[in-house]
Amino acid sequence: MDWIHVVLVALVLSNLLALGSSRIGVCIRVVALQGWLLGALTMLVHAEHLTVRLGLLAVANVVVKGAVIPWLLGRAVREAEVRREVEPFVGYTLSLLFGLSALVGFRWLGSRLEVAGPEASRFALPVAFFTIYVGSFLIITRRKAVSQVIGYLVMENGIGVVGVALVGGVTMLVELGMLLDVFVAVFVMGIAICHINREFDHIDADRLNLLKG
Amino acid sequence: MDATGWLWALLAIPVLGAGLSLGLRSPRAVLGLLGLGVLATAGAALVSALGVFRDGPWLAAGGWFHLDALSAYHLLVMTVVYLLSSFYAWGYFELEIREGRFPLPLARRFGALWWGAQAAMTLTLISNNLGIMWVGIEATTLMTAFLICIHVTPASLEAMWKYLLICSVGVAFAFLGTLLVAASSRGIPLPSADVLLWTTLRDAAPRLDPTLLKAGFLFLLVGYGTKAGLAPMHSWLPDAHSQAPAPVSAIFSGFLLNAALYCLMRYVPVLEGGAGLGGWCQRYLLLLGGVSILVAAVFILFQYDLKRLLAYSSVEHLGIIVLGLGLGGAGVFAALFHTLNHSVCKSLAFFSAGRLGQIYGTQDMSRMARVLRGSPLWGLGVVVGLLALIGVAPFSIFLSELLLMKAAVDARAYGVLAVFLAGSCIAFVGALRHIIGMAWGGEAPRASAPKERVLDAAIVVGALACLLVLGLWMPDGFREILTRAARVAGGGRP
Repeated sequence: MDWIHVVLVALVLSNLLALGSSRIGVCIRVVALQGWLLGALTMLVHAEHLTVRLGLLAVANVVVKGAVIPWLLGRAVREAEVRREVEPFVGYTLSLLFGLSALVGFRWLGSRLEVAGPEASRFALPVAFFTIYVGSFLIITRRKAVSQVIGYLVMENGIGVVGVALVGGVTMLVELGMLLDVFVAVFVMGIAICHINREFDHIDADRLNLLKG
Repeated sequence: MDATGWLWALLAIPVLGAGLSLGLRSPRAVLGLLGLGVLATAGAALVSALGVFRDGPWLAAGGWFHLDALSAYHLLVMTVVYLLSSFYAWGYFELEIREGRFPLPLARRFGALWWGAQAAMTLTLISNNLGIMWVGIEATTLMTAFLICIHVTPASLEAMWKYLLICSVGVAFAFLGTLLVAASSRGIPLPSADVLLWTTLRDAAPRLDPTLLKAGFLFLLVGYGTKAGLAPMHSWLPDAHSQAPAPVSAIFSGFLLNAALYCLMRYVPVLEGGAGLGGWCQRYLLLLGGVSILVAAVFILFQYDLKRLLAYSSVEHLGIIVLGLGLGGAGVFAALFHTLNHSVCKSLAFFSAGRLGQIYGTQDMSRMARVLRGSPLWGLGVVVGLLALIGVAPFSIFLSELLLMKAAVDARAYGVLAVFLAGSCIAFVGALRHIIGMAWGGEAPRASAPKERVLDAAIVVGALACLLVLGLWMPDGFREILTRAARVAGGGRP
């Protein structure tokens, strides 16, 4: 059995779960799971020539994206006392339908794309772009600021898959810098959400509409 | 010191300044350190830039740092903007300190983030690795987000959230583009450490995979374009610029946008060198530039808030720079010249708008009457600054726009010329209406004009003199610098 495919299928399923779930707690766990999957994918793609460098990078990914960031998000949600996403702009069923059709579309695109790369990339690329799509979709259609941060993270995970599948790793320093930036971004967004909650008594991004024109 | 030492110093001084700011004991000390430190960084930047213009590009720290004419020129522009803004911040926050609205914790946070933003922008400019360059740009977003809402109000929080989210997501797309460009080198065996080095990619450009290169550039254009405030990805910009304190707005308009644009300029030579891609990326630059100019012009027409007007004017001028970049050749020269002109002029305009806002207690242009009476110094700054921004001769913005038009005519790009002229005319009319209203309309304010400090007068006069002199006479040395920088960004076209 090809473990890479198992991981990719798990990624697709986790994306669908994020699209179809109204509970923010579930979405945070999905993001954590994706962090683990990304770490596993890094190891599996390079299974034959695994180096200490790659191993460390995968571990760093899992720790930051799979544990620290979900914990930060969990704190922000508790602080703001938000459990559910209420009435997103696009309903859950419709979101799932959009997601599934996008998946088919990316699969078709992937089959037409001739990209020289590791064997994994034939399936990894459509999954990666699907993940980026789901992330953007969440950012656009959800009202709560926390859900938008979750969307941003899903998108980042998708870009991470592109990196693993297509490039096979750029320099260690770049990857660590990228990871640090994502971590700080979520940290800053978390603080911002707490400020917004204190000032407005809600974290509905669509009701932040003082500034116009 | 050698090249490596100077480049490290450029990075280390702001980082050190950020650390020190957190330990200082009074708001005035934080601002004092800002002034002291900016002189130190200015010295280091000047030495580095002069070194580059004398000996050619610097490649230091094992190929990680790279300073050539293009980055050295941007480094100088950044230094000018930071010099002006840091000293302006003294006067701007003095009033707030006296009113007790700038307490120590706020001042410390302001100082640390201000320095941090400078470090991040410097990292963007001096890194040879396109991945680290991206890390620098993303870091600027994170550093500057809380500078917008130094004074926490609902409006500033809203602006901060939009800025943080839109720019983070946009810049994430730029990382995707960076990865695709890295992937385009798969066909040629490059060691993984070299895959993202700009010098390597530029030299290997003809052998890169053109399809991936094209896909990558489109993502880069959207990603860095968002951060550079190009329409239609500019929606965060007017909010952030209008809500931030004036020194921060000046940094935003004066250099943050240009830093993102600089990243795009780095990719143009790689794309130009790509097999069969000559002139491909220019089309998209022209498109985005034209859209930005037109969209911004229309919004300028209906603006009533002074800082939002200036923000939309930034969208317009960044569009003009991108347009010049897209024209290639002499257009790139005009675009780089325009970069300096716009940065100096926009900083001056935001400075004046900020102080006038403090005097009048509003940013609403219809309620800021007789600004020349309300504050002769800052009134002069805003009136002349706005006139220069809309392209009135003999200021240097007029000259760089003239050069751009000449480049468009020479390249027979009459459509581009028409779009540029239409946008500029709309913006001209829209802004002129407000300038006349602010300068000569309405009742003079009853409160007497506050006493101006010598330093503030020096900032206004210095900036205006710079715009005036460059508009009338371009020193040979400066022309040489621009020519060399344009050669780098133009991608080998003569």
